[in-house]
Amino acid sequence: MDATFSRLTMTGASAMLLLALVVMWRHHVPAYVTAFRMQSVALAFVGAVVAWLGDVPELFLVAALILGLKGWIVPRILAGMEARRPGERELHPLVNTEMSLLISGGLAVAAYEISRPLAAVVSLPTRGGLPIALALILVSLFIVVSRRRVIAQIVGFLMLENGIALLALLGAYGVPLVVELGVFLDVLLGVLVMQALVPGIEEISAG
Amino acid sequence: MDAVLVVALLAPPLVGAALALLVRRAPQAAAWFNAVTMPVSAAAAAAIALRLAAGGAPVIVGNAWRLDALSALLALLVSVVATLAVWLGPGLDRRGETPGAEIRLHRIYANLFACTMLVAVSTSNLGVMWVAIEATTVTSALLIPVRRTKAALDASWKYLFIGSVGIALAFAGTVLAFVDYATTGGDLELALNWTTLRTAAPSLHPEVAQLAFVFLLVGFGTKAGLAPTHTWLPDAHSEAPAPLSAMMSGVLLAVALYAVARWKAIIDVAIGSAFTDTLLLVVGVATIVVGSASLLSQTQYKRVLAYSSIEHMGLACFGLALGRPGVFAALLHLTGHALAKSTAFLLSGRIYDRYRSGEIGTASGLLGTVPATAVLFAATVFALAGLPPFSLFLSEILIVQAAWRAGHAALTALVLVLILLAFASLVTHLQRVLFGEAGRDVSRGEPASVPLALLALPVALLAWIGVTLPEPLRMLLTHAAEVVRP
Repeated sequence: MDATFSRLTMTGASAMLLLALVVMWRHHVPAYVTAFRMQSVALAFVGAVVAWLGDVPELFLVAALILGLKGWIVPRILAGMEARRPGERELHPLVNTEMSLLISGGLAVAAYEISRPLAAVVSLPTRGGLPIALALILVSLFIVVSRRRVIAQIVGFLMLENGIALLALLGAYGVPLVVELGVFLDVLLGVLVMQALVPGIEEISAG
Repeated sequence: MDAVLVVALLAPPLVGAALALLVRRAPQAAAWFNAVTMPVSAAAAAAIALRLAAGGAPVIVGNAWRLDALSALLALLVSVVATLAVWLGPGLDRRGETPGAEIRLHRIYANLFACTMLVAVSTSNLGVMWVAIEATTVTSALLIPVRRTKAALDASWKYLFIGSVGIALAFAGTVLAFVDYATTGGDLELALNWTTLRTAAPSLHPEVAQLAFVFLLVGFGTKAGLAPTHTWLPDAHSEAPAPLSAMMSGVLLAVALYAVARWKAIIDVAIGSAFTDTLLLVVGVATIVVGSASLLSQTQYKRVLAYSSIEHMGLACFGLALGRPGVFAALLHLTGHALAKSTAFLLSGRIYDRYRSGEIGTASGLLGTVPATAVLFAATVFALAGLPPFSLFLSEILIVQAAWRAGHAALTALVLVLILLAFASLVTHLQRVLFGEAGRDVSRGEPASVPLALLALPVALLAWIGVTLPEPLRMLLTHAAEVVRP
């Protein structure tokens, strides 16, 4: 049972990290949005697995919310933003593809190192995915600082949020529901405000 | 009784926002309503603060709300500054220059902004605190580009984005601490309650606690304008409308630092204070360096005020690392900064209205054109420069003293030099603004108004605190410092 549990969550987590790497080598914004959508679906999958095998029924609600909000509504907002400014699809990130992938690899190794004490104290069957969650957090942060297009930066930020949600799911079967709902509200509001501001600005780097 | 106090504290801004939202036709009426209700919040905060200063029990409502001395101090600062900002906000000026739609937007978001800050300092749940602080970013970012200029939009975007990413890292830290707590087998529903977590802190794992604190410091530090992630602050604080700048600079930074102090209190129980103190010392001094060194080269008066905020947040962060006397001094410093900086920003709004320019070179001859505003502005800048009799002089002395006693001789000397540098820069800029020739098209004479007289109040308060350090405030600060360093 625990072996299945561990394997399923590891699969979901690994898929999430791989989908973050898509941003490194694809240069089309629609591909970023798709990657984020699929990553959110994978997160919802991990949530559902934890709800089912970890016996935390309220996580089914959280998984459904992830699916609805991050898998459907937010990607639609992002796609809408891109549709309003078509044509600028090619990207010239601050760091080129090869270097980006190399740095991501380095960050993944660093994440394993950093998360060792954490993985040592958590005794849940899901603990194997903790380094992946931390790697996702670091790689997302790298996306935020290394991409020029605003939408790519927003996708990086949303992937960062996904990474933290994954960390909470794998490390402690999710944070208390009231906090979880607050986080959802903040993500939704944040993205709405971002899309309201973006038309007025050109490409500016976050630094 | 406790429930009544909490409702009186949190409801006024919420009702104010709802009213401004619903009453589309008469934004002016909503603004006046605001001017009456916001002081209710301040009165409730004062009642709570007085009770805790007298050694009373924390205000507790169920598992949701808990205000100890530290919370009470911040709630008082937030509500007082919000009241000042309400009174000097758009819609209350007689000339009626501001368009109705702008008044309405301002009233909606400024109220929600005040409310999110009050929730952040009143909640007992560290997760909810995070949610509220994240929400401050959203509510305030919308208000920066209210006039939709390119510079304001850019500033707003930078603020929103860097703030959101930073604060997400603070959530990662929160989750790490939560995961650590979960391994100790405690009750998960109450896990993020500050008291629960602090009671359980001795059984947290040192390495995980350290990792969590690093994330928390980077995250909340970004919102507090600490180096190296302070880059959004000068743009956001200088482009925002004056009443919003006053709230962002005067109290939002303090609320973010409050979050750091709350977590420090827990992590210190888990691993001793050496680790958090060292980090805060390094970050604090780096922030003071950035703030002081950038002050002199500024050409816009609002940017001068913004960099001065960075310097003062650095000082407060530095103070938090210096044991209980240092925490006391840091909290006194935040109090003085909240009063002085919010007043300075509100006055800068009046200066801008007269000169229609944010440049120091253009807005000169202030004493000749708007004498009363000029005198008050000079007083607040002197206060920010750390001159007696104002309270920031006292708190800077106490911070330096605490650093010396803690054995950081070299850092003490460095900080002293930086304080002097900041002082010299501020006074240089001030004399350029006060004296000199105003442009020919700038009209002279002060528009007589109640709001201006209101701004003399915080200035008097700063001097009063600086000279006497009133007993209730001293007790409140003492108890608040005990919360951070028991």
